[in-house]
Amino acid sequence: VNWIFLGLIGGVVGLDATSFPQAMWSRPIVAATAAGLVFGRPMSGLLVGALLEIFSILILPFGAARYPESGTAAAASAAAYVVTDTGAPLDPWMLMLAVVFGLGWEQVAGASVIFVRRLNGRLVALPPDGGYSDRQVTQRHLLAMTIDFVRGAWAVLVGAIFGIVLLRALAPLPAHGDGVSTGVLIVAAAAMLGSVLTLFGGLRARAASFGLGLLCGLLLLLLQ
Amino acid sequence: VSQVSRRALASTLVRSFAIQGSWNYRTLIGCGFAFALLPVLRSLYANRPDEFRAAVQRHTSVFNSHPYLTPMALGAVSVLEATEPPAVVERFKSAVRGSLGGLGDRLVWAGFRPACVLLALTAVMLGASWALVTGGFLLLYNAGHVALRGWALQFGLRNGLHLGEKLRSAPFEPILRLIRQAGAFLVGVCLMLLFDGRPITSGLPRGWTVLAMAAALTGSLLGARIRGPLVVAVAGFALFTILARILS
Repeated sequence: VNWIFLGLIGGVVGLDATSFPQAMWSRPIVAATAAGLVFGRPMSGLLVGALLEIFSILILPFGAARYPESGTAAAASAAAYVVTDTGAPLDPWMLMLAVVFGLGWEQVAGASVIFVRRLNGRLVALPPDGGYSDRQVTQRHLLAMTIDFVRGAWAVLVGAIFGIVLLRALAPLPAHGDGVSTGVLIVAAAAMLGSVLTLFGGLRARAASFGLGLLCGLLLLLLQ
Repeated sequence: VSQVSRRALASTLVRSFAIQGSWNYRTLIGCGFAFALLPVLRSLYANRPDEFRAAVQRHTSVFNSHPYLTPMALGAVSVLEATEPPAVVERFKSAVRGSLGGLGDRLVWAGFRPACVLLALTAVMLGASWALVTGGFLLLYNAGHVALRGWALQFGLRNGLHLGEKLRSAPFEPILRLIRQAGAFLVGVCLMLLFDGRPITSGLPRGWTVLAMAAALTGSLLGARIRGPLVVAVAGFALFTILARILS
């Protein structure tokens, strides 16, 4: 039953990314949490989703750009992580493997998006007599959305299976302490978050707001 | 507008949520535009089947826009279909698609969305529950999302052929500036929490914190270019670790 739910989540996440309704259920932070929830560990899903989210903020769907699909990959990665890992105590090496797998699988999921878009091109190409009736437009549009739903479910289910196999094979192999995995993940996440600043005008233009944010962050740390 | 029923306009707004359903490299969202506009066209051409069919065919042609601002084009086209010849409607669509796409990209994809995501990440790093993080993020984001779609349809209906000039005088720049300032502020908050090791741990060793600070500075200078090499570096590190263990 869990796998049926995971497939449904995959379909909804895949559909939301481009087709319908773009309500951001397809963000890694949401999709991975939902996948974790299916297997009874939403907080573990949230952790994987948050790290993949940091890597996804700069993926912008401008125009006809081709980009990796982070939502379905995050759901697959989170499902693989919560199925493989016991969760207590947290294993940073396993977390790193889940993040690396998610970053790789989003390329595969992105390729499936390109495939479906090409398929859609054939589906809605005008027939020789000049065009479609209103019913044909509706049918073809809904068929394209159904295909996208199936694609999303495929990307999450197949990804989760690959992820579980990979994580089960590689998790017992850490060659360094947990602190190294954590450190590498934090340094990479810091580089990505720093690069997000360019979206808002860059370091020089937003120095005051950014500096105020750093101060508030420090205050929050001290208060906690 | 008076020729189009409110029910048809409401139906068009709802359908606009699925406007990218058949996104493709040939007509982009052309088919989706016709799909969303069908209720309006049915209302306008109620007893004229030939004109209705011709209008449906015209609107399946190539079109692109930011999905949240497409209701603006749908609203304006609803007005123009009732008052202007088809050639004017086609010219209008060609003229607005670039500006609606560019505006939406800057306002939503590169502004509002990352700011909302950063707020959610801050909540994660402060230890908020999964329900609060995801529920709060979806509520906040979609309040803006749905409001923007509704406002866009109204704006299109109100301004019709004059959409372009009215759009230029709309107060998007101050809103965008505010979003960017909030976004930069949230990057600062998130980074400081990250330097402590959140959301993975708390109290990261000083050496890693210094490295993270240097990485953040490098990222802020390089921007989006850093993503590809960084992904390869993290994957390479994991692979190196695995190989080192196997060979030892």
